[in-house]
Amino acid sequence: MPIRADNDIIVRSPHNPLINIHDIPGRCSDIWNAGVVRVGAEHLLLLTVESLEGRSGIYKAHSYNGTHFTVEDRPLMSPDDSPSPYESLSIRDPRITFLDDCYYVVYLAESEMGLRLAMARTRDFQSVERLGCVTQPDVKNGALFPAKFDGSYALLERPNAANSIWMSFSADLAFWGTPRVVMAPRGGYWDSDRIGAAAPPIAIEEGWLLLYYGEKITSAGPLVRLGAAVLDRQEPWKVLHRSNIPILSPREKYERVGDIPNVIFSCGALLSEDGELRVYYGASDSCICMGAVPVEEVVAICKNGRAF
Amino acid sequence: MPPRTGRDLLHRWERNPILTLDDVPFRCNTVFNCTPVKADGRYIMLVRVEGLQGYSVFALARSGDGLHFEVDRKPVMTPALEGPWALWEENGIEDPRITRIDGVYYVMYTACSRYGHYIALARTEDFQHYERMGVVSGPGNKDGVLFPEKINGLYARLDRPFGNGVGSIWVSYSPDLIHWGRSERAFPPRARYWDSYRIGASCPPIRTDRGWLEIYHGVKMTSAGPIYRAGAAMLDLDNPAKLLGRSLIPLLSPREEYERIGDVGNVVFASGAVVEDDGEVKLYYGAADTSICVATGPLELFIESCFAGEEAGDGARAK
Repeated sequence: MPIRADNDIIVRSPHNPLINIHDIPGRCSDIWNAGVVRVGAEHLLLLTVESLEGRSGIYKAHSYNGTHFTVEDRPLMSPDDSPSPYESLSIRDPRITFLDDCYYVVYLAESEMGLRLAMARTRDFQSVERLGCVTQPDVKNGALFPAKFDGSYALLERPNAANSIWMSFSADLAFWGTPRVVMAPRGGYWDSDRIGAAAPPIAIEEGWLLLYYGEKITSAGPLVRLGAAVLDRQEPWKVLHRSNIPILSPREKYERVGDIPNVIFSCGALLSEDGELRVYYGASDSCICMGAVPVEEVVAICKNGRAF
Repeated sequence: MPPRTGRDLLHRWERNPILTLDDVPFRCNTVFNCTPVKADGRYIMLVRVEGLQGYSVFALARSGDGLHFEVDRKPVMTPALEGPWALWEENGIEDPRITRIDGVYYVMYTACSRYGHYIALARTEDFQHYERMGVVSGPGNKDGVLFPEKINGLYARLDRPFGNGVGSIWVSYSPDLIHWGRSERAFPPRARYWDSYRIGASCPPIRTDRGWLEIYHGVKMTSAGPIYRAGAAMLDLDNPAKLLGRSLIPLLSPREEYERIGDVGNVVFASGAVVEDDGEVKLYYGAADTSICVATGPLELFIESCFAGEEAGDGARAK
């Protein structure tokens, strides 16, 4: 008999965890969050690998079925190959957006000067062009919309000072402005203390599907879960629907046990032509997992997510 | 024997404070951080007034000599009540800094809302009407000051975001004053020094032969709370993210009663300066978040303090 999915909307892959520390060709400390993209028949993951000395870089992994991945033995991007002093400690949490025939990677750059969002661009995932930092510190959880609005690029971001999801706009990817609040934490809910974008927004019939993570701080530390919202297609700072309940919560052992336990943190999801949403997520900051569900179920939960 | 004023580089005006709540013609809690402009021989100053209800507005003060000010009967800029600005400014507007570029006065100020505080920009030509241009930073940022001219074809500002939880002074650039980027850290707090806890831009940068003179505030945290002092730094004219020199000792520290005692004691918060034709700088500062004071010194002293060694502190003392 299959394992019950419990109270989660997303159904976990039986192959979870898809990638754990033993699948990394070299020694490392942790595997963190991964962005995902499908290029032809191939699934590409950009995953964050933290070295034993504590610095992280971005590695590429590929797969033909979306569940069995081979991780390359050298990082695609790392602090060591960066000219920027703002990437001197770590780069991590890549989120991939396809726009204007390019793959844009928004990632977190870490130095002793703080945490900033940086951007890079690639066409082939072989050579990567760094575009530099696009925010001031301390800002995390950046995701580029796969569309422009009135000719402007739009970036989701999570300023640490506000613990909420914001967005900014730019005509040239260099100068950003007209910030807006998109969503804030909700007192009393599972996302009461901090929220941020998970996967880059996905175009759906109703608008944009935004997967986001929500944190509830407990006496033992944060509980990080995955939620969903639907944003307006033309004015994406307007939230049309927001799930009252999480769509995935830490329950399995690999989500409960790890360096940062009780964490489900997605940086990428794929929507197939037949409407299946595949969410790739880091669990406990120690392995990469996947879960899937028909996207209409997620939208239904956003529209009418009763808790009881 | 006159009381010693301590060992500060700057000279306090003997009749400080120059503005207190007794000088404000409407009921308020305090009047403090301010931004002066000298035009046609007269002085105009936007001052932050904290109302009794707890949030701040801006009022206009006028003077013929830069020392004796009169405050207009009503505030000139109050938090917006309508549109998106009503949310941005729901908890008040604070700490204006005026920079003149091409005949327009730009007011960079701190807007306060439930999401924190961020930097906003307005413009005025007559000091009566203020056109809000935009929110120009994310939340968690303040102490924004605009450079008085473009640098390499771009507008430039200093501000104070928190990187790694540490408040440092950063530089950002903009083609249009609305969209900002290419941010770089200019300089951080210094361990062991008077500015060890956090720093922020105070006055809009002043162009000198040696570089951009930035009069900034430095905070040291003590068991009894923070101590705010004023210091000076010199930034490269073409690349203001490059620090050329920095005063090892403060220009001005809280010592007088009006700097020690108030809603937030032990605060000297410089926020504007006027360079007179004879090279004397009038530095305006909020004292103890309760009143406005002025201190003076020759521009040369500000510049030299950026390059002087520690032992030079006494020798560079103002007359």
